[in-house]
Amino acid sequence: MTGKKFIAIFLTGFFLVFANAASGHDADFETMGIVKPRTVKSAPDFDLQDLEGNPVSLDDFKGKPVLLNFWATWCQACKEELPAMQRLYEYLKPQGIEIVAISIDRNDKDRIKKYVKEYGLTFPVLWDPDQKVRRGYYIMGLPTSYLVDSEGKLQGFVSGARAWDSPASKGVMESLAGDMGQRMQKVAEAKSGHIK
Amino acid sequence: MKLFKRFLTFLLMILSFGVFLPASALAYIGLCCAHCGGNMPLNIPGGGIPETHEFRFKVNQSFMQMGPLRDGTDDVDRTSILGAPPAGRFAAVPDEMRMYMTMFGGAYSFTDRFALMVMGMYTVNDMDMAFNNALVGSTGTNGFTMNSSGFGDTQVLGKYRLYSNDSFAPTRQISLLAGLSLPSGSITKEFSNNPVGGQNGTILPYRMQLGSGTVDPIIGLTYQGSKDPWWYGLNAIYEGHWYDNDQGYHQGQEFRADLYAMRQVHSKIVLESQLNFKYEGTYSDQPYNQRVLGQGHFRGNPANGFLSPLNDPNNYGGEKLSATFGAQFQPFPLQVLELQATLPIYQNLNGPQLQDDFAIMAAWYIEIPTKRSKRFVGTKAPKELGF
Repeated sequence: MTGKKFIAIFLTGFFLVFANAASGHDADFETMGIVKPRTVKSAPDFDLQDLEGNPVSLDDFKGKPVLLNFWATWCQACKEELPAMQRLYEYLKPQGIEIVAISIDRNDKDRIKKYVKEYGLTFPVLWDPDQKVRRGYYIMGLPTSYLVDSEGKLQGFVSGARAWDSPASKGVMESLAGDMGQRMQKVAEAKSGHIK
Repeated sequence: MKLFKRFLTFLLMILSFGVFLPASALAYIGLCCAHCGGNMPLNIPGGGIPETHEFRFKVNQSFMQMGPLRDGTDDVDRTSILGAPPAGRFAAVPDEMRMYMTMFGGAYSFTDRFALMVMGMYTVNDMDMAFNNALVGSTGTNGFTMNSSGFGDTQVLGKYRLYSNDSFAPTRQISLLAGLSLPSGSITKEFSNNPVGGQNGTILPYRMQLGSGTVDPIIGLTYQGSKDPWWYGLNAIYEGHWYDNDQGYHQGQEFRADLYAMRQVHSKIVLESQLNFKYEGTYSDQPYNQRVLGQGHFRGNPANGFLSPLNDPNNYGGEKLSATFGAQFQPFPLQVLELQATLPIYQNLNGPQLQDDFAIMAAWYIEIPTKRSKRFVGTKAPKELGF
């Protein structure tokens, strides 16, 4: 085998594998009904409190991909998807991926607490009683979720409930984590002088 | 017992619809849309508005019992007005009335702001009549039960949201109601089982008719508010009767106001209470068959007195205030079952006429999304955020 042939076969194989991986992610996005942005913009920052009254902002999660979910205790569809989201969280947490759920209930924080306890949710649950964050994210139906990458950029929009513990969902989230892994590797390489 | 069985049959029919039509559950793909702050009791006009590009169908079965007689704010003993018609008394006097009303309606929301509703009804009226001594003697019976049944008037009503303080989950909104009541109900129902010879084939009194006989404008305003876990609001509605029907009379002007409060006590249960006010004017005149042909008058002469207080157009209308208590259940997604009971608090009636005694209602509501509904297509990803 000549060197040129070897390079051609190597490049073809490389692109096939790469394309397959990329199309796999695309298929997962499609399966999950995730709308990708036309122009990547930063996720609107917010300052909210969690259910214990501790201040939490989006900046606190910088460096980690985040699945940002809007819900309410009165939303039946939310009730159906939150347990699956908890299962996804348990699967993804070791990989450094966060799930943040923002409740838009207006008044009764105790009801949210009761709900969180009942469903055994361990990911951060924040409260947006004034609806400011909800409006900033243009929420017109519940549940609605956004995919935010580790740099705080919006990478996806999801309207309605989803099977968040499905293989497609895990694929989507791992692709976000994969991007993060690649970027972290680049940073590490840059620091060690391999890339100038 | 017969009454109870009848109501139970209707109730079971309504429930069976809910149980055996799970298609709506299949259509449910899981998205709470707008109108979240707009829950209302289903008996109030404009209640039960579907989401945008969705249909809803509503079946409401009610039973209302009326009696005894009242004049102004005082009860009237029927024996005090039974007697010989020329002496200002009546040959036949109503004792009790039972109305079985099945209302069926459909609605579609064209936009977030505008929904159109159509509602029809089928009514069965039974009114127990007591005879004076002369009629008891001539007929050999103390009275009889007057009947009428059939389809009533059809309402076409639009609801347009004039104001809301939030586009998704408003806590305050004001809507305009406007529409027409179309005269699909008969105004020429006749006696068929009257034991008094010669009365069968004559026109039944006003309330035994099934419609107004006129195209009537309806206009109203609705305020809806919410503060989790409460919903509350006020609905004020006017129904005009502006011109005479084919029998040469029109119903009195109607105004009703409904104040309601609802509290969610469980994710699938909402309790509700209402104060319902209704004003209604007297009828404008006697129907042609009475006024000209003398039906409903002593000896068939329009110059003589009425055979019954039911024949006098001035013995209708007045002011009523009642309280309604009920609960809404959500047995399946997109379906609501509502049970209600109404009791009168205050009645100042143009009488003598039968006063309201109580009413019970059961309604079943189903919402059916079309493929244009947000439930299917989801909400649009916001372009402001790059989508």
